[in-house]
Amino acid sequence: MGAPLLEIESLRTYFYSRSKRAFIRAVDGVTLALARGETLGVVGESGSGKSVTALSITGLIGAGPGVIGGTIVFRADGGEQNLLADLERYVDRKEVDGRIVEVSKDEAGWRRKVERIMAPLRGKAISVIFQNPKSALNPFVRVGAQITEVIRLHTPTKGAREAREQALDWLRRVKIDSPRLRFDNYPYGLSGGMCQRAVIAMALASEPALLIADEPTTGLDATIQSEIVGLLAELKAEIGIATLLISHDIRVISRLADNVAVMYGGSVMEHGPAADVLAARFAPKHPYTTALLASIPSEQNVRDKGYLTVIEGEVPDAVDLPRGCRFYARCNRVTDGVRDRCAQREPALQEIAPGHRVRCWLYGE
Amino acid sequence: MKRYTQIEDASRPASDVSPWKSAGTLDLACVGYGLIVVAAVLVSYVLGVFEWLPYDPEHISFGLLNAPPGSAGHLLGTDFLGRDILSRLIVATQAYFLPGLVAIAISLVAGTVLGALAGYRGGGVEVLVTYFNNLVDSFPRLVLILLVIAVFRVDIYYIMIIVGVTGVPVVASLVAGKIAFLRQKHFIEAAHVLGLPAHVIVLKHILWHHCAPLLVIRATIGMGEVILIETSLSYLGFGVQEPTPSWGNMVQAGANYFFQGKFWPSTAPALAILFTILGFHLLGDGLNGILEDRSGK
Amino acid sequence: MKLSALKPVALVLSRELALTALLLLGVSLVVFVILFLAPGDPFSVLLEGQMPSHEARAGVREALGIPTTWYGQYFAWLGNLLRGNFGTSIRTGLPVFGEIVRVGASTLYLTLGSMLVTLLIAVPIALHASVRGATPFNRPFTLLAYVVSALPVFWLGYVAIYLVSRQLGVFPLVSQASAPTERAWLYSLLPICVLGLGNGTVSEVVRYLREELSRVMAEDYIRTARAKGASVWRHAFREGLLIPMTEIVASKIPFILGGAVIVEQVFNWPGMGRMAWQAAQDRDFPAIMGIAMVAATLVRTGSLLQRVVYVAVNPRASQQRRGGGWAE
Repeated sequence: MGAPLLEIESLRTYFYSRSKRAFIRAVDGVTLALARGETLGVVGESGSGKSVTALSITGLIGAGPGVIGGTIVFRADGGEQNLLADLERYVDRKEVDGRIVEVSKDEAGWRRKVERIMAPLRGKAISVIFQNPKSALNPFVRVGAQITEVIRLHTPTKGAREAREQALDWLRRVKIDSPRLRFDNYPYGLSGGMCQRAVIAMALASEPALLIADEPTTGLDATIQSEIVGLLAELKAEIGIATLLISHDIRVISRLADNVAVMYGGSVMEHGPAADVLAARFAPKHPYTTALLASIPSEQNVRDKGYLTVIEGEVPDAVDLPRGCRFYARCNRVTDGVRDRCAQREPALQEIAPGHRVRCWLYGE
Repeated sequence: MKRYTQIEDASRPASDVSPWKSAGTLDLACVGYGLIVVAAVLVSYVLGVFEWLPYDPEHISFGLLNAPPGSAGHLLGTDFLGRDILSRLIVATQAYFLPGLVAIAISLVAGTVLGALAGYRGGGVEVLVTYFNNLVDSFPRLVLILLVIAVFRVDIYYIMIIVGVTGVPVVASLVAGKIAFLRQKHFIEAAHVLGLPAHVIVLKHILWHHCAPLLVIRATIGMGEVILIETSLSYLGFGVQEPTPSWGNMVQAGANYFFQGKFWPSTAPALAILFTILGFHLLGDGLNGILEDRSGK
Repeated sequence: MKLSALKPVALVLSRELALTALLLLGVSLVVFVILFLAPGDPFSVLLEGQMPSHEARAGVREALGIPTTWYGQYFAWLGNLLRGNFGTSIRTGLPVFGEIVRVGASTLYLTLGSMLVTLLIAVPIALHASVRGATPFNRPFTLLAYVVSALPVFWLGYVAIYLVSRQLGVFPLVSQASAPTERAWLYSLLPICVLGLGNGTVSEVVRYLREELSRVMAEDYIRTARAKGASVWRHAFREGLLIPMTEIVASKIPFILGGAVIVEQVFNWPGMGRMAWQAAQDRDFPAIMGIAMVAATLVRTGSLLQRVVYVAVNPRASQQRRGGGWAE
């Protein structure tokens, strides 16, 4: 297979709460890899840092301090580049027993640097599908023109006419109703589902190497959701573009993903083949994944237990993350043998089966 | 380099933090400067009422015309008739202080009533209030005041009624906007479901809890506008007449000497206008940044 | 634009036009009520010219069939207004309307020019502030905008005249009318700049543009534009700059006209503002009434133009309920 298309290593993206005078550790040491042609599903509750990870990759973090550490290696068109190159030159971190307590960052300089790195990639090599399709489209510009713009910016076309034809073709490929009509519509005239199809067409129109789909079904009606998932599945089979699929909905992930990363409290808890991670009976897995699977309203769950389980407790406050395992306070599988370690030290992400890694003291030392 | 520092006790819930504690330095500086200006205006007004002044503001002294600041015991110098500028500046606050309060009271009371009616009742009332607002906004204030002056030949208090009435639309829009915002948050419906009578909801929950900061902010900005109008009118020769001082007629009186290179008699009152209006505007804006932007989010 | 899209736009515009007419009717009613309440029956002047005594006025009134009820008088007066008959100036004895038309052009020149100056100052500051956030560099500029807005415009006028005329010796210190013709336009720049700086709106324009632009920059569709590698400005221009700019300018027309009264006084500029001042001095109410009507008409026209731009730019405008007076 060769080197992965995208390799994220110890990514840290923090925000700052002025009223609490504390860091919001939205992404706190995320490590992920995505191979060519692979669809990696990133699943987790809201606030687990999924979307911030996606925004960090695209360099679209607006608030400070933003990305403060890690590497993101992106390999496309035969080249290899670190999207966070020279980050260390702009950031100065101060740690007190393992926790970052002070960050100084030349934000204006870093923003300029990010723009320099990302300008040739955005929209061309890396495309994004955002959640809330209705607000993701420019309400002042016709749908067709927004897709045509991408094609003219990033693909070699002969002229406006050809770009228009291609855009129309993409509207057909995402199976929008009466594409010719929609082409000349403004976004307000389209339903949520049609908007999302248009957004997908816009993201794919530049034929990118990497597609980031950030909650592509959130904010849509249930029936529309499954239509969009169906469309994404067809496009996956048809085009086979490497996709980072972010969703809190395990059913969406299980239909589309080859591999799955489970995120919790700004960190990856489990990462492995979708078939293993999402199989309820596959034994060695993170207690959080187990709990997450037990809470999905599926036929299997209802048949087995007659009820659905909820995960007791709340998602940890990103301001006040625990020192030990992030899931310790809610974990129902803590045994006396590991209790001290769980509370005191954060476990490492270790390989327990080929290609399957878990961050838990129950497995290995 | 922007620095972010974590404090150890980071577990306090956000809602307990007073908006004043988390306020930005810039906002606090604006409010601080504004409060100094308000205090200075209040003190000047009191000094003027009790005539605790360094000199008689109308005492003419031909021996000391257009004296520069600091000369012969005149801290801010003298004007073209040798009158003490500091005393005249202090007394001149009377030209706008009480009339200004009248104007602000009219704008706030009428604006709140109209805004509450429009925001709470909606429908036909809202249409009427919108129409009234657009109607009042159609006239340049100064032109409307000149029309009233031409027709009635009135004094500053009547003029301030006009100023008050023309200030109604802004207040009404702010209050109605606030109510619309609360409505969006289903706050008013919740109060209805609880069985609270309408007047309690409007008076206590909407106006007192949510509109009070807004009205205070509006009042400070309103005072700045009143000073601008009063000084403009007295500059134009309407309103307060010589020898009674007003900052506006003081600037005007010093005009001829200004072009002869004696800047001070005109510039002193102009600076008084500048610093005072700036103070009220910054106070309003600073308070807005601290109290309103936060609760709006 | 397609024909199907034109129809709702035309509908919206005709509604705006009707609203403007309705508001101008209200404006005339306000002016009428002020005149009606005036001591000394100004209508005898407006309708018949000056009459020596009350009895004589009543006699003439009856003889001419002038209505005695207030609404009768209103409609008679309104009819005159619509025919361009604003009465005769007490001071000059000339028809008011002709006089306003004569001086109106120079006021329009002054106010439009000063709007341009205000925008030239405010837009760069707002752009810089909204893109960069509060940086040590743009804070002084924002503060400067506040200081400039609090400056009394008449004193600013003095400073400008002194600096430019006396120190630099560039322009003659005379009114536009008697200035050497080849320098008249240069001299006219001075009051335009003073009004543009000192009409008290610079800081508000800066703040409004900055807020609107920052709000639009935080919109999802701008993030989409950045993610697809398109120009952010191209996408933000309409909602973030064009619409707010027309909105704030339209809403500041009354202030600029009010500021013109003072600036025309300072610079001895032969415009509507100076005419209004003279009229208020001389209790020339036909003249000041005419000016009030014309000024209100200008304000409403500006507001109408703003709506036209909004409807033309925003595809949703024909679908939305009018924002009305709550726009600010």
